Amino acid sequence: MSATAETNEPIAPPRPGILARLLREPAAAFSLVLVVLIIAAAVLAPWLAPTDPYDNDLSKAMQPPGSEGLPLGADAQGRDMVTRLLYGLRVSLMMGLAAVALGGSFGALLGFLAAFYERWLGGPIMRLVDMLLSFPAILVGLAIAAIFGPGIFSVVLALSVATVPLMARIVRGSALVVMRLDFIEAARATGMTDARLIWRHLAPNCLSAIFVFATLRFGQVILLGSALSFLGLGAQPPTPELGAMASEGRNFLFFAPHIAVVPCILIFIVVLAFNVLGDALRDALDPRLRV
Amino acid sequence: MSGPLLEVTGLAKHYPVRKGLILAKQVGTVRAVDGVSFSLDRGETLALVGESGCGKSTTARLVLRLIEPSAGAIRFEGKDVTRVSGAAMRAMRRRMQIVFQDPYASLNPRLTVAETIAEPMQVHGIGNAASRRARVAELLSLVGLRAFHAERYPHEFSGGQRQRIGIARALSVQPDLVVCDEPVSALDVSIQAQVVNLLKDLQRRLGLSYLFIAHDLAVVKHVADRVAVMYLGQIVETGPKRDLFAAPRHPYTRALLAAIPHPDPQRRGQVKPLGGDVPSPMNPPPGCRFHTRCPFAQERCRTEAPALRTLAPGHDVACHFTETLPPAGLDFSGGLSDVAARRLALYADAKARNAA
Repeated sequence: MSATAETNEPIAPPRPGILARLLREPAAAFSLVLVVLIIAAAVLAPWLAPTDPYDNDLSKAMQPPGSEGLPLGADAQGRDMVTRLLYGLRVSLMMGLAAVALGGSFGALLGFLAAFYERWLGGPIMRLVDMLLSFPAILVGLAIAAIFGPGIFSVVLALSVATVPLMARIVRGSALVVMRLDFIEAARATGMTDARLIWRHLAPNCLSAIFVFATLRFGQVILLGSALSFLGLGAQPPTPELGAMASEGRNFLFFAPHIAVVPCILIFIVVLAFNVLGDALRDALDPRLRV
Repeated sequence: MSGPLLEVTGLAKHYPVRKGLILAKQVGTVRAVDGVSFSLDRGETLALVGESGCGKSTTARLVLRLIEPSAGAIRFEGKDVTRVSGAAMRAMRRRMQIVFQDPYASLNPRLTVAETIAEPMQVHGIGNAASRRARVAELLSLVGLRAFHAERYPHEFSGGQRQRIGIARALSVQPDLVVCDEPVSALDVSIQAQVVNLLKDLQRRLGLSYLFIAHDLAVVKHVADRVAVMYLGQIVETGPKRDLFAAPRHPYTRALLAAIPHPDPQRRGQVKPLGGDVPSPMNPPPGCRFHTRCPFAQERCRTEAPALRTLAPGHDVACHFTETLPPAGLDFSGGLSDVAARRLALYADAKARNAA
């Protein structure tokens, strides 16, 4: 006791940074590597792809994986699946990230405002959210496509709009719990502005809910985006997009299952990697879980 | 500067009670605080005591305007705080700070200790990053922590240490008034003494005024200069600590004092605790609010509400019959009977002889 009482040095060693903590968990490290690879593949698609994504050669149509020069086979138009997947990943990732970032941040903002100004804004914001929630994402997509015409932009907008109410609800719930804690009152007693209070004290303590939902939603958005593409509202052929590729492939499920199955496997891997990384990131960002 | 630092007159907070989902009808009013007046001088500690639910904490938050009062005035250095708003109010907050009851909920778990303590200074534009860092180190040593604690997060500290951090945060902007909302109620008894002594020490060194909310009378006896006893949203007795503890004039104050645990087993059974519960503040009893539980209640108490009357300088009581009450018959001097005292003296002698 007397030995530690007089020391002025920290007794514990300095804490590791976020990255170090992230890499300590094997599943997290693996998902981080996977996500980096996925993003790199999407970004570098033009250099990595062996052929042009629109090059078709009908003589190679529906070649199975492992054929000469086609490690993953070719689709119904005889285009190289590897190329199509790389470019498709690009479009799908961009769509998913844009929709989650756009809809998620707007939804989170609404949630914070609804919780912080519960008295005046809580009711109006949440009724607005209820209204948005009652529209199926597909219907929103249809309406937006009718206004702006089908395309990636419409899909992103529709998916963002569909994400806003969900994020708003989740963030509000989590923010209402935080609002009851004394440190919010302490922050108010220091005389800071509401904006600073929300940004420094309320928002960081709702991060775990935001992270979990954003990563979960990212997977859903990619699937929803492919559904919209399938309806002809999203990526228009011949633009490669993972969901659209899967739906194109369903016509040939019996003759050439790889055309539908391979994009689905890629979607699965992408969604899984982002979900695991999201969980790990949430834990790494929480100072209470730092050891 | 003349005049009291803080003067509160007729402070009230009424919460409407609504029923119904869509067209809510007001069916009643909770009178959490109902006409509270007191004043606080520079360097003085006023303790606000009372049972749970009597409105102590609400009063504290009203003074800081964390809750908007329904009525009444709060004058800080003669300026009515209830009238200012916006930036002026935020500037005003620098002068009054608060220490909370729950040391686990009152610190933001996402901020390091240094960030927590420096933030009020940052908000009020005091100093630059370097001077604030120096001030954080200074404050940490002032409250008995070490400079290297600054980079840690709240969850790495014990309850008592967290309370010290909360105190350092309150002091960072050099306030004149610190509202302590049961600052030691959530702590272990051994830690309570440390924190209470720290608060007293800081008061002496920095000339702080404390509005000290508590329900533990032992703590109050130790820290307070003056005591105000609250019952059901109103002050029933206020006076200098010594007078109030030696000669409580209100039946409720007597009951509170009699309920202090006593080390003398001889006294067991002599004190009759108050029966019943605090009536609902939504429907307070007519007349004196305490008459439902008062052992001396008479007809007049049921109909006529007693006003605070000054009995001695600085000693006010709200009771119709305070002059005719039987003597309190409580001994708070040492609390030990003669027999026990003699036994202790013998024991001390024996110990001294052994040591010699």
